[in-house]
Amino acid sequence: MAPGNHFIVGVYGDDHHALKAVKSIREAGVKIYEVFSPFPIHGIDDALGYKRSRLPKAAFMFGTLGFALALIMQYWMMGYDWQMIIGGKNFASLPPFIPVTFELTVLLSALGMVFSFFVVSDLKPYKKPRIFDLRITDNKHVIAVDLGNNKLNKTEISKIMAQSGAEEVNEKSFD
Amino acid sequence: MEVVSSVRTPLITGAKTVGDVTQDICVRVEAKPPRTWFMALAVSLSLLAVGTYTLFFTVWDGIGVWGLNKTIGWAWDITNFVWWVGIGHAGTLISAILLLFRQKWRMSINRAAEAMTIFAVICAAFFPLVHMGRLWLGFYWVLPLPNTFGSLWVNFNSPLLWDVFAITTYFTVSLVFWYVGLIPDFATIRDRAKNRISAAIYGTLSFGWTGSAKDWSRYESVSLILAGLATPLVLSVHTVVSFDFATSIIPGWHTTIFPPYFVSGAVFSGFAMVLTLMLITRKVYKLEDYITITHIEFMNIIIIVTGSIVGIAYLTELFMAWYSGVPAEQYAFLNRATGPYWWAYTIMMTCNVISPQLFWFKKIRTSLWATFILSIVVNIGMWFERFVIIVTSLHRDFLPSSWAMFYPTFYDIGDYLFTFGFFFTAFFLFAKFFPVVNMAEVKSIIKSSSSSNKALK
Amino acid sequence: MKENKKQYWKGVEQLTNHPEFVKYASKEFPRDLPYKEGILQEEEGGSTRRDFLKLMGFSVAAASLAACEAPIRKAIPYLNKPEEINPGIPNYYASTYTNGGNYCSIVVKTREGRPIKIEPNKLSHVTGNGTGAQVEASVLSLYDQARLSEPSINGAAVTWAELDGQVKTKLESIASGSGQIRIISKTILSPSTKAVIQEFITRYPGAELVMYDPISSYGIIKANEESFGKAVIPSYDFSKAKTVVSFGADFLGTWINPNKYSSDFIKTRKLDHGNKEMSRLYQFESNLSLTGANADYRTPMKPSMEGLVVASLYNLLAAKAGSLGVSTHKVEVAYLSDAANDLWNNKGQSLVVSGSNDPNVQIMVNAINGLLQNIGTTIDLKTPVYFRQGDDDQMKQFVSELGSGRIQGVIFLDCNPVYDHYLGTKIQSALAQVNLKVSISEREDETAASVDYVAPNHHFLESWGDANPVEGTYSLCQPTISPLFNTRQAQVSLLTWAGKADVDYYEYVKKYWQVNIYPTQSKISDFQTFFDQSLHDGVYSMEARPMTLEMIVFGGDLNVAASQISSTYKTSNDGVELALYETIAIGDGSQANNPWLQETPDPITKACWENYLTINQAMANEFGLEMNEGNTYNVNLKVGDLSMVLPAIVQPGQARGTVGLALGYGRTKAGRVANNVGVNAYPLIGEISGSPALNRTVNVGVTMTGQPAKVAHTQTHQTFMNRDFVIQETTLNTFKNHPEHAFHRPKIAVSNALENKLGDEVVDGKMQPREISLWKGHTYNNHHWTMAIDLNSCIGCSACSVACQAENNVPVVGKQEVLNRREMTWIRIDRYYSSEKTAKSNAELEVAAENPEVTFQPMMCQHCNNAPCETVCPVAATTHSTEGLNQMTYNRCIGTRYCANNCPYKVRRFNWFKYHDNRQFSDNSSMNNDLGKMVLNPDVTVRSRGVMEKCTFCVQRIQYGKLEAKKKGRRVMDEDINVACASACPTEAIVFGDILDPESKVSKLLQVKANGEKQEIHEHRAYNVLEEINVKPNVWYLAKVRNKEENA
Repeated sequence: MAPGNHFIVGVYGDDHHALKAVKSIREAGVKIYEVFSPFPIHGIDDALGYKRSRLPKAAFMFGTLGFALALIMQYWMMGYDWQMIIGGKNFASLPPFIPVTFELTVLLSALGMVFSFFVVSDLKPYKKPRIFDLRITDNKHVIAVDLGNNKLNKTEISKIMAQSGAEEVNEKSFD
Repeated sequence: MEVVSSVRTPLITGAKTVGDVTQDICVRVEAKPPRTWFMALAVSLSLLAVGTYTLFFTVWDGIGVWGLNKTIGWAWDITNFVWWVGIGHAGTLISAILLLFRQKWRMSINRAAEAMTIFAVICAAFFPLVHMGRLWLGFYWVLPLPNTFGSLWVNFNSPLLWDVFAITTYFTVSLVFWYVGLIPDFATIRDRAKNRISAAIYGTLSFGWTGSAKDWSRYESVSLILAGLATPLVLSVHTVVSFDFATSIIPGWHTTIFPPYFVSGAVFSGFAMVLTLMLITRKVYKLEDYITITHIEFMNIIIIVTGSIVGIAYLTELFMAWYSGVPAEQYAFLNRATGPYWWAYTIMMTCNVISPQLFWFKKIRTSLWATFILSIVVNIGMWFERFVIIVTSLHRDFLPSSWAMFYPTFYDIGDYLFTFGFFFTAFFLFAKFFPVVNMAEVKSIIKSSSSSNKALK
Repeated sequence: MKENKKQYWKGVEQLTNHPEFVKYASKEFPRDLPYKEGILQEEEGGSTRRDFLKLMGFSVAAASLAACEAPIRKAIPYLNKPEEINPGIPNYYASTYTNGGNYCSIVVKTREGRPIKIEPNKLSHVTGNGTGAQVEASVLSLYDQARLSEPSINGAAVTWAELDGQVKTKLESIASGSGQIRIISKTILSPSTKAVIQEFITRYPGAELVMYDPISSYGIIKANEESFGKAVIPSYDFSKAKTVVSFGADFLGTWINPNKYSSDFIKTRKLDHGNKEMSRLYQFESNLSLTGANADYRTPMKPSMEGLVVASLYNLLAAKAGSLGVSTHKVEVAYLSDAANDLWNNKGQSLVVSGSNDPNVQIMVNAINGLLQNIGTTIDLKTPVYFRQGDDDQMKQFVSELGSGRIQGVIFLDCNPVYDHYLGTKIQSALAQVNLKVSISEREDETAASVDYVAPNHHFLESWGDANPVEGTYSLCQPTISPLFNTRQAQVSLLTWAGKADVDYYEYVKKYWQVNIYPTQSKISDFQTFFDQSLHDGVYSMEARPMTLEMIVFGGDLNVAASQISSTYKTSNDGVELALYETIAIGDGSQANNPWLQETPDPITKACWENYLTINQAMANEFGLEMNEGNTYNVNLKVGDLSMVLPAIVQPGQARGTVGLALGYGRTKAGRVANNVGVNAYPLIGEISGSPALNRTVNVGVTMTGQPAKVAHTQTHQTFMNRDFVIQETTLNTFKNHPEHAFHRPKIAVSNALENKLGDEVVDGKMQPREISLWKGHTYNNHHWTMAIDLNSCIGCSACSVACQAENNVPVVGKQEVLNRREMTWIRIDRYYSSEKTAKSNAELEVAAENPEVTFQPMMCQHCNNAPCETVCPVAATTHSTEGLNQMTYNRCIGTRYCANNCPYKVRRFNWFKYHDNRQFSDNSSMNNDLGKMVLNPDVTVRSRGVMEKCTFCVQRIQYGKLEAKKKGRRVMDEDINVACASACPTEAIVFGDILDPESKVSKLLQVKANGEKQEIHEHRAYNVLEEINVKPNVWYLAKVRNKEENA
């Protein structure tokens, strides 16, 4: 059976149950494909053994980029490319450049990070998402297990799920 | 997740379950809106119509149709600009700063507050555009774009240019912040969609959100960092706006106290506006369980604090004028209080310094009507604050020979109405087609704070 | 310039819709281009292939050319270039401005054959150094659409032949019946014109010349005849007078020859390290005049007591002289005895003048001057001034004869008595019964409208002519453009009617000079050279003849005059009195249709676009009339049986119980700009001892109507709030004794750290603001343009601001926009009144004193080296040049107005609307019709809507001067460059130059000493307005010094 097509889907009514279930299912040696929930469940990423997101680093990099670009742009335009006597001030001096520098830093860092978020999570308009259960975005929590890359078979997994306190255990396949 | 003391009054009342939240909020989007909504929209649209008329002639004939003159180069235009920007602040402040402080009570109001921010900033940005003598060139000449004139760049010394960057950044970041927050809720509506059109539309809007644990964890760090970025941003925007005046040399403008003074003023007026809108939405949409007296009281407390800061700023200004020993400076402030525009100064003082002090009384603080009226009073006061700063400083500066008066014309008023029309139209459309409360977030606190769960424990 | 007229004036045909032109206007090429045949054949449908290719080839080229640049709608090529005209290079022609008795020797600047600017002719010693508002503006009147374009009979256009035919026959029939013909004219300064008239009179013996002046000085002439046996107006030499006493004579503003008088007077007020002496001026008057505003001591008085005051002065002086005075009622007015003392101490170096037209008063004045031995020193009767030759008696007689039907023919020679003579209405009604009525005028004015034959006259810039303003001095007037319309010079018309065939007036003038003027000199032996020389200089003065030794002494009968005076004048009068006056800008109203003049605010009231009743504060309180900005109320003015409704404005300095009203407004047939603007005050002129008087002392009534009115002011705040950082002034004694402490010197306290750093700049912990700076700043190594304005010399005459308007294409915005406080003038003259000495609080300081001291402060862009406007412009549309100029880049400006807000001097002007090619602003005639546009200065952009503008220090002139100097291969010197305002200034109050050039006037005036890279100003009076905000202006003001006692 090719991975990524056939799933066992456990539906949980409460985030605590879902969290417990994740632990028990993994102890039972079942690889969990992904957990879906209407709102973030605290501690679930540890339970699933996810690493911390690298988005903050991205934000920092983009911020630095914005900062550098802003300063270079201003010094080049005012101080080098075309010098103008303005109000008897020096051609280029730091203080008046600070506001723009700050703004561009924030701008690039914010946009850059959000953009990277969309990319890594593959969020984009016109995307047809794989919806394991319509109630996920309402009030149900769902644990999906990919039959394609699990040693255990369907019935065993369903059993483990039922034990873990799932309200329903369904089968879902995409093609 | 942190523990919430059972002593604390619940933020969400009425024994709501997670399912109820989805139901309560989504039904506003799905169901046919109430008559009151149509009435409200009609009013806003008619305002918009009047505004469009005057706006057309403002642009067609030139801003000579306004009441400005050789002495007073800015009046209602920039007053309105600063006023709208100020109003915008509350939204970002609520969702960003309160998020950093983990103030859960923000959750049911931040969505609408952010929407308000975005519309307010659009209204604000409209004035610097229209007030330009040649906006058809100005709107892009203010950007450092390469051009056919060779090395012709903008002047980075000019506070007005800083404004351009500050406002654009502020607007973009707020928009992004707001939209990221909307994605999961769009997904909810998508999954409940009965007809294919709304399924398609909200499907597109939801960017294919599935609510997977990975996405949620990224989502959370993104919104946390955005909040972290937006916080200094929201403080910077009005600081930069205040630079327009603080860096000038006109007595009454040339004041180092402006940045903090403007920021607190902005928060002050922003919260007032949020209250005004919230109280209406709450009524029209029957969201009493989500926007509770507690929310209103918290916001009123913030209004007392910022209002008092503003009051102190006013007094400091007067003191500095006297202490400076500069005759022109002293006259500028004496003239504010006692000159031809004394009435504007009086309105400002009463509305901004005295009226918010009423919130010290819990009775008033928790009364819907009092809050509603005072919230409007505060915004009137804040408009006059900007008017006083701009017009009364300009109309009598250094050389008595050019002292003059400013009288608004029909077009000054009309163009201001235009922004009101736009703002409310936009807001009511938002209230109809977007989830007015951040469902995902509210759901996450139901457990800890909704009374039903407490009952279970 | 006559030979190449045809091609040269092609454009004019277009402007005047010459039928020829219209015929070919639609064609791609005007007829006389080489393609002629082609076109014509084409018209007959027979165009050859070659022509077709030729044309097509051209059109392709033309099209591709047109593609490269904006289409030029009205390009008029020179087919043969007139050799003295180079596109882009101005030509200057010396000429003469005459308007009736008003005279100015000028230099006309032309570009591509269009006169665009009038400059003073510095060679003339009759009109001093400058011009004047009316002179500067007269170039716009040339391009006035309201000018007559062709001869007409009873309003129907005719050819000259027709007109001449009819006029001649009528003249002959009158002459044959030995009927009476009158030529009515204002003062004629031109000797050749007088010769022409003489010829006319010899041809028609019944003819007679009658001259009048709208504002008459006949009283002086009469009095001088009586007193000295000389029926003339003498030359007054104010430059020799240490004490001047004037009774209502506005000799700095409008009296006879203000241009010369002011420049002479100010010569005695210039202070520098060498000279610390000043003349002292006493003014006794009812309206606050320009002279009163510049007086050291001013006493408001009712016109009804004027004669007695003069007599009392005589008595005071007589007492000192030990002779017995005259018997009149004694009157006490402030400062009269002080005046007497000063006069007596400066015997022979003083001057007493009176604006009164009452011969008796003038006789008394003569007596006083005689007593003071001023005759022959400050008053020169041997070189009379011919500015006013009007004979009121003759004119009155003419009017009565006209009424009695004794006169069959009247020719109005370039005058408009129906409007500007106080008997105008009588004249108009009487004209009905006159057989031949001719008017030779520029426009169909009130008089021309009531005659049958209208012979349109040239504008003076289109005419040949000469003038004899002062005994022994002549000047020539030459055309600087050929006639725009089918008009004919007045003299030619007269000669033609006198039977001369095709006269050429140029030849006539030349002949006249050859016969009469050439012989008066011996230097040049050949006439042509002499004439060319005079034409080039514009002026010619006879070599000084040996002064005749006859001693002129006062020989009038004083007691008669005295008794007359005591009967005409009263010691007190409870009734309201009216004092009519002439304004600087509108004058007698003949140029009223000139928008530049209409928008020039009166230097005193700062109001424009109409006339109004100036009333005293006391009367205002009586009426409960309170002014707020331009808002006031209409009042009803009743004089005798005439009454009119007009707005009233409160005028500090207005004598109690008097009201003032300006002449020259209320035109009905001047043109669209002036028609029905204000009220016509001429009919209000009354008579005093038989001669017309501007004062009405009996049955004058003013009543409040209560209906609100708006008067357009360019300045509504009257006082300077004792802000010594704006206006600095002191008294002569203080200045003499301790000049260094006489003025306000702002100091900034500095920290010890800074003190140690700066060292010697700091004096006891304080230092001058301009020494402190956050930045290194920039040094200007090549040139550093600087302006110095001497507040002691500025009399507020507004010549500068009109000159600037002409030079820099400054738009006129009209009454409504001035009411909206949006006038565009680049240089304005701030007029400040002093508050009462007791005033302390701001509220009190805002109120002007009842009889205030007045300060004028010309204010334009200060070209700050630390310019606040530059910093705030988001698009760098205003920046600083390497020569210290604050530059405005119009086509980069996006109009945020931030610069204007941040300008502490409020000198930036914004184009709120599109002022050119916009029907809304057709009053701005120099930008809204093809004719008017000819006056625009091609070197200066016409600003578009939505951009900021301001004084540029005439950068176009600076660049031109630099090029001229470069051509000569030397550095720029003062004479290469002068800004428009400075060159127009009759008193040299404005001095412009390069402060880095130690030889320049400005460096000398400011006592500049170079100290390393810094230029230090050592002149004690020099200060910057708002020095403490440290914007480092390039404009320096020299503080005003009043010659009065400390506590006076």
